[in-house]
Amino acid sequence: MDLRDLLSGLFWLVISGFVCLESTRLGTGTLDYPGAGFIPFWSGVILGILAILVIVRGGLKRKGERRITDLWTGVRWGKVIWILFSLFLYCLLLPTIGYIITTFGLMVFLLYVMDRSKVWIVAVSASIIILVSYLGFHILLDAKLPKGVFGF
Amino acid sequence: MDILHSIFYGFSVGIEPTNLLFCFLGVLVGTLIGVLPGIGPIGTISILLPLTFRISPVSAIIMLAGVYYGSMYGGSTTSILVNIPGEAASVVTCLDGYEMAKQGRAGPALGIAAFGSFIAGTLGIVGLMFVAAPLAELGLRFGPPEYFSVILFGMTLITYLSHGSVINALIMGAFGIILSCVGIDPIHGSPRMTFNTMQLWDGVDLVPIAMGLFGVSEILINVEQTENLEILKTKIKSFFPTAADWIKSKGAILRGTLLGFLLGVLPGGNPIIASFLSYGLEKRISKEPEKFGRGAIEGVAGPESANNSCTSGAFVPLFTLGIPSNAAMALMFGALLIHGIRPGPFLLKDHPDLFWGVISSMYIGNVMLLILNLPLIPMWVQVLKVPRRILYPIIILFCIIGSYCVKNNIFDVVTMIIFGILGYLFKKFEYESAPLILAFVLGPMLELNLRQSLILSNGSFLIFFKRPISAVIIIISLIFIASSLISLFLKRKKRNIQGELIK
Repeated sequence: MDLRDLLSGLFWLVISGFVCLESTRLGTGTLDYPGAGFIPFWSGVILGILAILVIVRGGLKRKGERRITDLWTGVRWGKVIWILFSLFLYCLLLPTIGYIITTFGLMVFLLYVMDRSKVWIVAVSASIIILVSYLGFHILLDAKLPKGVFGF
Repeated sequence: MDILHSIFYGFSVGIEPTNLLFCFLGVLVGTLIGVLPGIGPIGTISILLPLTFRISPVSAIIMLAGVYYGSMYGGSTTSILVNIPGEAASVVTCLDGYEMAKQGRAGPALGIAAFGSFIAGTLGIVGLMFVAAPLAELGLRFGPPEYFSVILFGMTLITYLSHGSVINALIMGAFGIILSCVGIDPIHGSPRMTFNTMQLWDGVDLVPIAMGLFGVSEILINVEQTENLEILKTKIKSFFPTAADWIKSKGAILRGTLLGFLLGVLPGGNPIIASFLSYGLEKRISKEPEKFGRGAIEGVAGPESANNSCTSGAFVPLFTLGIPSNAAMALMFGALLIHGIRPGPFLLKDHPDLFWGVISSMYIGNVMLLILNLPLIPMWVQVLKVPRRILYPIIILFCIIGSYCVKNNIFDVVTMIIFGILGYLFKKFEYESAPLILAFVLGPMLELNLRQSLILSNGSFLIFFKRPISAVIIIISLIFIASSLISLFLKRKKRNIQGELIK
């Protein structure tokens, strides 16, 4: 039994069910005048059939058992969690605090998470990255980076 | 004569200082990301896409094209010196390229990869010049049924040619089409799957999806790994292959060029598949197949030529029919739309500066790449030593800025992160992202052409079989689908028989 296939198949089946329901609400129309829900509905049906095939495939596999946890064995998955947490926090703070301070904080955190170097190395590296990115994107390319309450 | 005039006109566009600069930037960045394992050309193109908003469409496509074909050159360096492919299309080069390096022949391996890429790239551009105009003429006869059939064929071929499970690739294709439906329905104007969120009324943007799936997810996967790069300590005496090397390689280069170009033209073909097929072909026809995997120079020359000519071929369906043949072309398609240019049969007529300018810049770019990739190899080796702990946060920052700058909205950054998580999980559960992105880009065209065809035929699907071009393409698609299913069934049967024999 392949638990990975079973889990992923179930995920796609749920997506398929949701899409088909939503499409029915929109209206699939008729063949000579397809409605807004026509393509999403049939795409959802195809997705559902394929999801069932994946579940069946997972159930039929006999040789060995592929566990979900094996995917994260022997790898540094903690770093991934920290990176994602910092990115979501960054999105929350960016519009309020502004690009320079928020991004400096993010860079310091990411550089430290990637490899625990000395604090001053991390701070200097982050400062250089911010300076170059600000000059390159905001000044040279005129990208509108958020200013926040501090005005920068 | 017409083509000659057009080429001269193209060169007059290509050698403008701005376009020369962007061509150089594109091939330089392309070589850089080709050399560095971790992020590939698709992720890089998606990151650079928002930066092209402020430059002319010609310069934008010249630069992005340079990134694409430039990465094919750069990828071979890491494959040969480190035994890790710089990007996916150079996986096969590791097999014989690294062996050659271990035998003290890194120079000829790097040389034949660069020269083979140059020859194939140049011949591929010649092919593009001569095939594009007639195909554009044919494209003028296309109506909604023909467009629907070609797009369907493209999606079918992608699943047929995917590395992993066909079912998984089909799932990603279906999901891509569903994602493309989010937003306002183009015919009825009603919101679809927007969850009462105003930011989703315009649909999900291509840039955050691409950056998330190919940029952020790649970083997350790489950050988990613990292995370090070890560069082979070898002295590179000369980059020039010997006369014997050229005799062995000339056939492989020409065959790789033709195979790569044809695969590039077909919707669904991509440089990764081209390089694998070329390697397989060379091994099959070689008089000494046992030498493959042990330093056979044909095993480097063929695949490296194929992946380069494929990049030229890939522009053919994009420019002439307006159909991107792979994920990178899907992003180019997005770039053209952002600049208000609709690729298709009228592109040659309405924007000859773009078409011929890009072609001429590809000639110029190939020359630049030959110079960048041989004498500057020692510099690229130093680049490989840049710690990944510095590189990854910079790439994440570029992804954030790129996503934000699409509409100056934090929602797109959140979208990018969500797709980064999805891309990371897709890789873990063995689902490829390329079919998703291609289906996402082709989805709106598929839907519009299908609905228009059904309206024209009063709901009859026979319209796709009554029109000859459409009928031929649909039949070929069905053959490919049937062949995939039969192959799947036979593999399963073989596995069951082997399992019973073992018992």
